[in-house]
Amino acid sequence: MTGARVRSASLRVMLLVASGIILLSLAAMAVQYRVTAQSLDARQAELLRADLDAFAALYEQRRIVALRQAIEFRVATTPPDQVIYLLMDRDTKLAGNIAGWPAGLARDGTDFTADGAQPFDHAGQPYVGVARELPGGFPFLVARSRADTLATLADLRRLIGWVALALVGVALVAGWLVSRAVLGRIGRLNALADRVADGDLSARLPAPRSHDEFAVLQEHVHAMLDRIESLNRATHRLSDAIAHELRTPLNRIQQRLTALDGQGPQVAQIHDDIRATVRIFDALLDISAAEAAKGQRPGLVPVNLSELVEQVFDLYEPLADDSGLLCTADITPDLYVLGERSLLAQVLTNLLDNAIKYCHHGDGIQVSVHAEGDRHILRVSDTGPGIPDDLRHQMFDRFTRAERDRGTAGHGLGLALVQAIAARHGAKLTLPDTPKGFAIQISCPKLVIPG
Amino acid sequence: MTQTRPKILIVEDDAVAAQAMEQAARDVGAVPTLCGTYDAGLQAAGQGDFAVILFDRMLPGGDGVDAIAKVRAAGSTALVMVVSALGRAQNKIEGLEKGADDYLAKPFDPDELRARLRALLRRKNMVALDNDVIVFGDLEIRMKARTVHVGTTHIAISPKEFKLLSYFASNAGAVVTRMQLLEKVWNLHFDPQTNVVDVHVGRLRRKLENVAGRPIIHTARGEGYIFDPVQVPE
Repeated sequence: MTGARVRSASLRVMLLVASGIILLSLAAMAVQYRVTAQSLDARQAELLRADLDAFAALYEQRRIVALRQAIEFRVATTPPDQVIYLLMDRDTKLAGNIAGWPAGLARDGTDFTADGAQPFDHAGQPYVGVARELPGGFPFLVARSRADTLATLADLRRLIGWVALALVGVALVAGWLVSRAVLGRIGRLNALADRVADGDLSARLPAPRSHDEFAVLQEHVHAMLDRIESLNRATHRLSDAIAHELRTPLNRIQQRLTALDGQGPQVAQIHDDIRATVRIFDALLDISAAEAAKGQRPGLVPVNLSELVEQVFDLYEPLADDSGLLCTADITPDLYVLGERSLLAQVLTNLLDNAIKYCHHGDGIQVSVHAEGDRHILRVSDTGPGIPDDLRHQMFDRFTRAERDRGTAGHGLGLALVQAIAARHGAKLTLPDTPKGFAIQISCPKLVIPG
Repeated sequence: MTQTRPKILIVEDDAVAAQAMEQAARDVGAVPTLCGTYDAGLQAAGQGDFAVILFDRMLPGGDGVDAIAKVRAAGSTALVMVVSALGRAQNKIEGLEKGADDYLAKPFDPDELRARLRALLRRKNMVALDNDVIVFGDLEIRMKARTVHVGTTHIAISPKEFKLLSYFASNAGAVVTRMQLLEKVWNLHFDPQTNVVDVHVGRLRRKLENVAGRPIIHTARGEGYIFDPVQVPE
């Protein structure tokens, strides 16, 4: 798995679309609000005009007296917080439902038209009305309360606010659900890919419930994996076939050689050549098998690396000793790794074989196993001639041999096999600098044995 | 050797290999029976009273390693040796884990096959030996105490050398090959470039010889070693 946090593309797209829809909805509601506000104001203006028309008709007949009576009648029949009526004679109130002229309210005009209605506050309430000074110095005011209108508009605003909030909430939840569903399905495909990368080529997902684009993607991934798996199987069969088709005729040669009499040394030489040939293609098959199984868990078991190294070291130590080499081991006991015993033994025998082969009388060979962090480190170093600089970058390639070693037995597969086996165990190969000779370090992921 | 000659079943489809196996079986004093296919081999294994069965792997009809369980299920007590072109260490370990008593890779040296056949036949005839002390003339090996004495003289040997010596002792008088030693004593199933085993045998041999005053482990030219403490040098 990738450790980094994944930013969900589906969540982003979903939220982008949702915020677009929310903005459009809010714009629509704003238009609705304006229309509502205008129609409410128009209604109030209509009522105001109807009042004024009625007053105008009365004023036409009997002037101030009629107006005064009409206002007194209206005041008696209308709640005072709905409508304001006021008729004054200079500074004296003639009729009306408020005590005096509202402060700061300018008077303009002398007619009874509804034009020039102005908003003002009286006793903390908003009103809109017409303020006039009738001929002869009679201030006259008719105004209607805007409280209901404003309350209605406030309700509307609050409603719009809640709806917007609900939309945002729904969008977030829907976005989260959709992206979770999408991520879940992509996550399963990612997990499948990780399992395959870890070596489980036969890993597959259960059949999807619905046939959608994810199901199609899964089908394609499955088809691809089937193909890889069958190619892998074919490679394995080929290795077996190579082994069989080459070893069988070699065996015939060997058996027929046995029937020959009299050429002891030559026959023995041919036997040795056959053995060397078999060793070469065993090494090649081992390398390709280890590479094919690279990173795969099946086949690996807990191995006591310390014990194994100790055993192989004990096997080689007398040989090194006889060649005049000082061979020492520094092994931390009971370090376990997940591995294949035979392959790990082969790594060390190859390295020790090389060290003994190339070192001269008086050189030293050191083998050590120790724990370092989450890894167990196997290190083999010697004070021999080392690796020529021009070979350092290709020393792990197959059939790489130094020019100076042409006379020495070998086929240049030892280190290639070491590298393939290390890779098969998920181990890192490094070549630490040494003042003299050759050093190689293999760090395997450690295995903690419970108890 | 017992009165009647032991029977060895050979299941092998390659004529040259089969011939070499038959010859090796006769050389160790056994009577070979040959089958060329997997099914014929299985059938024969169920009928005859074989001491050892040599099974090839890539046979027409099947894999000799898969046959082991069937042979056992059929009630045969024969020891099974797989002789196969699938000869890498992993193949050998797989075969041994699946119940093979021995596993020899092709191409094989007839000497190697003979040595292994002898070892298997001896194992077949051996009554379970739980003797604590194994005595060869004046040489005494105490299995539990893990000590070796010649007469009254103790010979100091390492645990690995003791394991080597006890393997020799259980095959006393017969040729033991380097490959056998590497497999049985060191549990390594591949062919190292150098003959590491020789040095170990040489050291053990010197230790024994120094005290006994005569050769205990003899070299069989080209084939391996013979542990024979009572053999009189020719």
